[in-house]
Amino acid sequence: MSEQSPPAVEDGALVARARAGDLLAFEELVRLYADRLHAVVRRLVDNEHEAEEVTQEAFLRAWRGIATFKGDSQFFTWLYRIGVNEAHRLTSRRRAPVTSLDEHLIEPADARPGPPRRVEHDDLRHALERAVQGLQPDQRAPLVLRDIEGLSTTQAAVILDLSEAAFKSRLHRARLAVRDAVRDYLPGDPEQ
Amino acid sequence: MMMRAALLHPLRFRRDHRFTRMQASAYLDGELGPDDRGRIESHTHMCPPCARFMAGLRRTVSALGKLRGTETPRVSVSDGVLARLRDEPDTDGGAAPPPV
Repeated sequence: MSEQSPPAVEDGALVARARAGDLLAFEELVRLYADRLHAVVRRLVDNEHEAEEVTQEAFLRAWRGIATFKGDSQFFTWLYRIGVNEAHRLTSRRRAPVTSLDEHLIEPADARPGPPRRVEHDDLRHALERAVQGLQPDQRAPLVLRDIEGLSTTQAAVILDLSEAAFKSRLHRARLAVRDAVRDYLPGDPEQ
Repeated sequence: MMMRAALLHPLRFRRDHRFTRMQASAYLDGELGPDDRGRIESHTHMCPPCARFMAGLRRTVSALGKLRGTETPRVSVSDGVLARLRDEPDTDGGAAPPPV
């Protein structure tokens, strides 16, 4: 599995300046991390507008609380945790009815004429996106952080404030659910 | 080969089958020790359903990784954040996030 660190830029000096109240330094951090945080948040909320709102709110909260950031973890870990919490706050406030993965995902695949064994990249991508969006929130965030964003298990577990064992369990269940949902789009996977 | 293994050591075969299904993600993520890895590899060698299960999960995880970077925001995210930041009256205006 490929793991990818967030921006490989030495941000320690920027964080130190921001903690001292330097807004320009914090703005540099915004430029470094805004797109990545948005990418994570976008998959945890329902639409682009919410993603922008949550991303902005996360940075505002980070700026307001930067003095409390002790540096025991990396800055991006702290920032992502704020972003994930903001996204959860929004979705729980909305109290959207929980859609079961089966309801959400299986029907479009089954509605295709005949067994769709021919893999088309866009079909697979869309099926994956639907599958991820259909996951329960407690499974979706681990999968987004680990498998899509490429963070390590340790980093993602810290962001979600989970033990590594709990994180791995949720990740595994999420992967199985996604795999079941996109099985018809993967070549040579007749396993039922 | 699967039938032979299942007939000769049915309990062990079932245990290994369950173990493989439960630990498949840890296996793919390289988080198992050599004994557990060997156990899964031996079992998948003898059990075609588990081999297909593992292959399907591997392809799923690989495909998920390719979604990275495909969510392109419509507008500059950082511009929106910076505009909100510059409207902030001060740094003490809201609840601080938990220290980490």
